[in-house]
Amino acid sequence: MRPHHLAALAVLPFLVPAVLSAQNAEPRRLDSPFRPPVNFVEQITPPPIPPDVTDDRRVARNYPEQPPVIPHNVRDYQITLNNNQCLTCHSRRFTEAVQAPMVSITHYVDRDGQTLGAVAPRRYFCMQCHVPQTTAQPIVPNTFTDLDTLVSRPSDRGDRR
Amino acid sequence: MLDRRDFIKAQAVAAAAAAGGISLPAAAQSSMVAGEDTALKWSKAPCRFCGTGCGVMVATKDNRVVATHGDMQAEVNRGLNCVKGYFLSKIMYGQDRLTQPLLRMRDGKYHKDGEFQPVSWDRAFDEMASQWKRVLKAKGPDAVGMFGSGQWTIWEGYAASKLMRAGFRTNNLDPNARHCMASAAVAFIRTFGMDEPMGCYDDFEHADAFVLWGSNMAEMHPILWTRITDRRLAHSHVKVAVLSTFEHRSFELADIPMIFEPGTDLAILNYIANHIIQTNRVNREFVEKHCNFRLGQKDIGYGLRPESVLEVRAANAKDPADSKPIDFDAFAKFVSTYTLDYTAELTKVPKERLLALAEMYADPKTKVMSLWTMGFNQHVRGVWVNHMVYNIHLLTGKISEPGNSPFSLTGQPSACGTAREVGTFSHRLPADMQVANPTHRAHTEEAWKLPKGLLPAKIGYHAVQQDRMLKDGKLNAYWIMVNNNLQAAPNSANETYPGYRNPENFIVVSDAYPTVTASAADLILPAAMWVEKEGAYGNAERRTHFWHQLVTAPGEARSDLWQLMEFSKRFTTDEVWPGEVLDANPSYRGKTLFDVLFRNGNVDRFPLSELNAEYANDESKDFGFYVQKGLFEEYAGFGRGHGHDLAPFDTYHQVRGLRWPVVDGKETRWRYREGLDPFVKPGEDVRFYGNPDGKANIFAFPYEPPAEEPDKDFDLWLVTGRVLEHWHSGSMTMRVPELYKAMPMALVFMHPDDAKSRGLRRGSEVKVVSRRGEMQTRVETRGRNKPPRGVVFVPWFDSARLINKCTLDATDPISKQSDFKKCAVKIVAV
Amino acid sequence: MKARIPVSVRRAWQTIARPSRTLSLGFLTLGGFLAGVFFWGGFNTALEATNTEAFCISCHEMQSNVYEEMKQTIHFTNRSGVRATCPDCHVPHEWTDKIARKMQASKEVWGKIFGTIDTRDKFVAMRRELAEHEWARLKSNNSLECRNCHSADSMDITKQGARAARIHEQYLFSGERTCIDCHKGIAHRLPDMQGVPPGWSEASDNPQKPIGHWLASTGGNDGMNGGVALPAPAPR
Repeated sequence: MRPHHLAALAVLPFLVPAVLSAQNAEPRRLDSPFRPPVNFVEQITPPPIPPDVTDDRRVARNYPEQPPVIPHNVRDYQITLNNNQCLTCHSRRFTEAVQAPMVSITHYVDRDGQTLGAVAPRRYFCMQCHVPQTTAQPIVPNTFTDLDTLVSRPSDRGDRR
Repeated sequence: MLDRRDFIKAQAVAAAAAAGGISLPAAAQSSMVAGEDTALKWSKAPCRFCGTGCGVMVATKDNRVVATHGDMQAEVNRGLNCVKGYFLSKIMYGQDRLTQPLLRMRDGKYHKDGEFQPVSWDRAFDEMASQWKRVLKAKGPDAVGMFGSGQWTIWEGYAASKLMRAGFRTNNLDPNARHCMASAAVAFIRTFGMDEPMGCYDDFEHADAFVLWGSNMAEMHPILWTRITDRRLAHSHVKVAVLSTFEHRSFELADIPMIFEPGTDLAILNYIANHIIQTNRVNREFVEKHCNFRLGQKDIGYGLRPESVLEVRAANAKDPADSKPIDFDAFAKFVSTYTLDYTAELTKVPKERLLALAEMYADPKTKVMSLWTMGFNQHVRGVWVNHMVYNIHLLTGKISEPGNSPFSLTGQPSACGTAREVGTFSHRLPADMQVANPTHRAHTEEAWKLPKGLLPAKIGYHAVQQDRMLKDGKLNAYWIMVNNNLQAAPNSANETYPGYRNPENFIVVSDAYPTVTASAADLILPAAMWVEKEGAYGNAERRTHFWHQLVTAPGEARSDLWQLMEFSKRFTTDEVWPGEVLDANPSYRGKTLFDVLFRNGNVDRFPLSELNAEYANDESKDFGFYVQKGLFEEYAGFGRGHGHDLAPFDTYHQVRGLRWPVVDGKETRWRYREGLDPFVKPGEDVRFYGNPDGKANIFAFPYEPPAEEPDKDFDLWLVTGRVLEHWHSGSMTMRVPELYKAMPMALVFMHPDDAKSRGLRRGSEVKVVSRRGEMQTRVETRGRNKPPRGVVFVPWFDSARLINKCTLDATDPISKQSDFKKCAVKIVAV
Repeated sequence: MKARIPVSVRRAWQTIARPSRTLSLGFLTLGGFLAGVFFWGGFNTALEATNTEAFCISCHEMQSNVYEEMKQTIHFTNRSGVRATCPDCHVPHEWTDKIARKMQASKEVWGKIFGTIDTRDKFVAMRRELAEHEWARLKSNNSLECRNCHSADSMDITKQGARAARIHEQYLFSGERTCIDCHKGIAHRLPDMQGVPPGWSEASDNPQKPIGHWLASTGGNDGMNGGVALPAPAPR
């Protein structure tokens, strides 16, 4: 390997994050603090109803306790007194046939802390915690930083200015 | 050849370069397994959103929240959260957090039509104080006011009440809880003489039947819904009835689903009372010993402006709260016209379902829990309908015992704790006392160490009245805290916005985010939120729950408590109190409001040494004493010994909340029953001790129609409400990407045939038009809400699509709570 | 025996049996053919009239229950605007099957007259039974009505989600399962599904051995199997 190649390689771990974060630099402060630009009097033309994300690709969680979002179509899924369509794939016994992730063991624990043989009834309505995502792009970015990112750099001591 | 030394040198250079920029080395191992770096500090807190009051555990690292989850030890939720609760970690990190005061300026000076410019806190408070003084001097205390919130912490609401009532001597203080549960609160006091439910969430595990009266708990109180779901699915005898004007997610669990014509729930309740009487299932002994009967005033109007034709035409709009005593027979005769045939015809509910519902209540062996929120409370007859549900529980004696429970749910995290218990309404003082009662005022003056006769007797402007008075130029200096009223208030384009922009008025908004309301203000004050301050909330089951400050607020953002107390330093008693009070009490002369309200020997009683060293407390550090503890202990003095007993301050930092009254360290789960409530003496069995005679009141009221109904010009009912993913007008939740992407905009939910008959389809761009205003959105004909023909539903969380421009500012004439569920609109293609 | 046949009948029979004296054979043959065409045409037209959605939803039982529910689903509104009407799924296209189904339907007419499902609650109470009829019919004809539109041959599984493609390959193309095994409740709300396993489970071929419900029963009692829950009975 030629020396300057090695030198470039040595710089790489620093350069890449530098470039990346330069791209992620604070967006310009808009002239008004209001997002969406608020004007009580004017009507805003509504955007089209955005479609759901149905690419079936898992989305990383912000922290391990976060319920994963639903990456597939759920139109016409019935979760009623009669039937729970989510569990026809995600309950333990059906996961092999459909290759769906099994609901986590936390869902087998009832209110009294007992682990049951199947999903606890209080977890029945899946979509109270797990929601599908549309393709809509958030108007306001969120600066939440996950733990892994946080421990890999010096702290800003919570100063987000 | 590059040797090892050169390599290290190159690395050092790169490191230096990177340090000069923004980037940081990815040198630290990311946490494949937990090490020292990844150690988290976990602390408890209540959730920031609804009145359920779930406990959450909050993980912090380097002064940032990095994770949250349901608290396993919290009795309310035992480890569960809803989707909003699970995303609490992100609510403080919207990129547009307000970090410095913003004042409308032109040429370096405040100007009503100026542009927002950052100013210092000193500059902000200088301007604000001078505006307050201008208004007080010109018009007196009636022209200043404040609109607070059920999201205030207990001590923030308490400090606001002191500042407004005792400092500025006005009762023009109301919370946005007025829009939320004023009808429930008024009916509690009129029925039981005391506010808030007799039962608690433990009823969920004891009831055999659940009846949802105008409440979509599946979306609005998801964790309580998990407790109902648990009970229903694990016990096959348990039944669930869901009543609404449109089909929503709670119908997924319904054994008895009922869609009724808007406003006719009044008739259903009278029918049930009639059914209980006709089938001879009245609990005679209970009724004779514990109930009085009263005939209420009818034809009471709709709380509109007095010149409105509906008010002029109403016979009893002037004294809507009046009533007179009657006996059981008169009550039975009164409800006897509400037969099954009449009720089915009026409500359009099938008879067999009405009968099945009535039987749930009538059957003495079925323990029934009735639950309600905005369907009942946001109702032009909200107080009546609350009374009517108590009627059927009282007639059958199904009350104040495990599983038999009429239960009013709340929308805001501290609607009970702050708005009601602290008394931040325009007519209330702490512990259910009333401003119009001279004894109550005298007691309060004593507790607050104030001169006698200082507190004003006149009831202040309620929420809707504040907007009207701002518009009419009678209310001129106005402070809005922790709420987004320009998005939430009814008929906002005609009755709210004009008041904010009225050139005579100075409007201040304290918030964490730049909301629609902030955009119409003159001064915006950046607020610390949730775990950026030490706080306390009170949930719907009387549970008081504390948390510590866990992180620092961004920039110059300060808590509402700090803002209220700091602002009080800018006024002296001589400027704001009447001369005769000061002449009679000269020792109060020359002091600031801060001195007399917060340095009064009570509030400043606890030194900084009592702070928990593990947690920061920015306000206490600023003021030099343990502010929250002092305020709480002074406040708790109002209720102790009177059935509102709160535990000592420090206890609440140890436990996951306690349900008052807390007597001898023990919480009370069911009130008014011997053996369960320490205030009921042995041998009394049941005693509704809020009323002097120990009896509850059963009121006779008729069905009366809503203020506005669809006609040929405006041919659809408009119902507004919320969705699972957003709360508090979306100001926080719309800034959490996952919640935003799940529900990015407010659509108009309508029946596919209603769409088709107007030449519309799913996705069509439409205007929702009422007599008052319009809003543009798109049509949704499927999904979670399925209105019947003739009804449309629009949620109000979306700041870009403000449905409250269309709603009607009619209120319940007794509670003054607005009706967001019933007005007439048309839908037209754009 | 003879005496028991009424005179009028005997006369009529004689009239029909006696060869024609005035009409030509040609007329009779042609006339008979034309009459046959006429009556057959009339019958068929009437039959076809009952095979329209308008006919189905002229009964409020259909209109306010199954049809109302279908409006929410993908078989009513979708991207391409191709939609299924009631008979597309519920009436066989083959003539003999169609007639067989029509004869079954006379029972439904009976039900209509006697109000078997004339309220929503009665309909909901019958839902499992009604659904089972349709599942059994589609199972036995290998989901014929589904396949009238959704042909396995024409299915481009590369345009499907990876999971759907794999399952279609494994179960549908192999003939191991038929459409209805997995796609129940696609156009109407489902009945209580206690004991009805999803098509991709090993138990679905073996209905005698129903799998347990996939939800825990914590109460020590029958958990979810209370059937479609009904309102409490009318008061005594």
